[in-house]
Amino acid sequence: MNELANVLAISASGMKAQSGRLRFLSENIANADTPGYRRKSVSFENELEAGRPTGMVRPGPVQLDQTPVERIFDPGNPLADETGYYDGSNVNLVVEIADMREAQRSYEANLKLFDQARQMSQGLLQLLRR
Amino acid sequence: MDIRSSIAAQHYAATRPATAATKPAPGGSSALETAAQDFAATLQNGENTTLAAMTGGADQVSLVQALAQTELAVETAVTVRDKVVEAYQEILRMPV
Repeated sequence: MNELANVLAISASGMKAQSGRLRFLSENIANADTPGYRRKSVSFENELEAGRPTGMVRPGPVQLDQTPVERIFDPGNPLADETGYYDGSNVNLVVEIADMREAQRSYEANLKLFDQARQMSQGLLQLLRR
Repeated sequence: MDIRSSIAAQHYAATRPATAATKPAPGGSSALETAAQDFAATLQNGENTTLAAMTGGADQVSLVQALAQTELAVETAVTVRDKVVEAYQEILRMPV
């Protein structure tokens, strides 16, 4: 029972982490056309309790992608410098979509595990009933 | 003294503790108390999380997790209670 309760907590932390990841993905996609925007990415880390890993996951600090931003030639743009170029964003939509799909699959896996643990505890209780 | 009777006496002496009245387990009532406290804490956590989710303080994942745990705790309590009541009724139905 206690172990299954732990499973519930751990898969819930996984779902929270994937939702956080999806949140930054949505920021990236929404800002794909923002001049000078750098893609945000988040890495996951083990949650520690009193210096020991609990098995739960949590999103780590947000990092900005340091690849150079795209230089867009558009002399009519008010942001363009004297050469006619301005800084675009370094968001690659294909990468974002792939990342999004990965977040979705991972979320589904955690959801499945959550449901599985719940069903197992209920099945155990079913033994006591007739 | 006959050797067989002394061996038998030894065996009797060895098995005597088995028939002695057993003391109630020292942790019996406190374990039940802990279980009841756990149950109350789980229920309280579920209510608090629901309230927080309604007022925007907690996300849905925490809500679902807390409610699933509350559901399991209530189911456990109900099942155990049913079993206890059933056993009691069984005793009452005993022909005297």
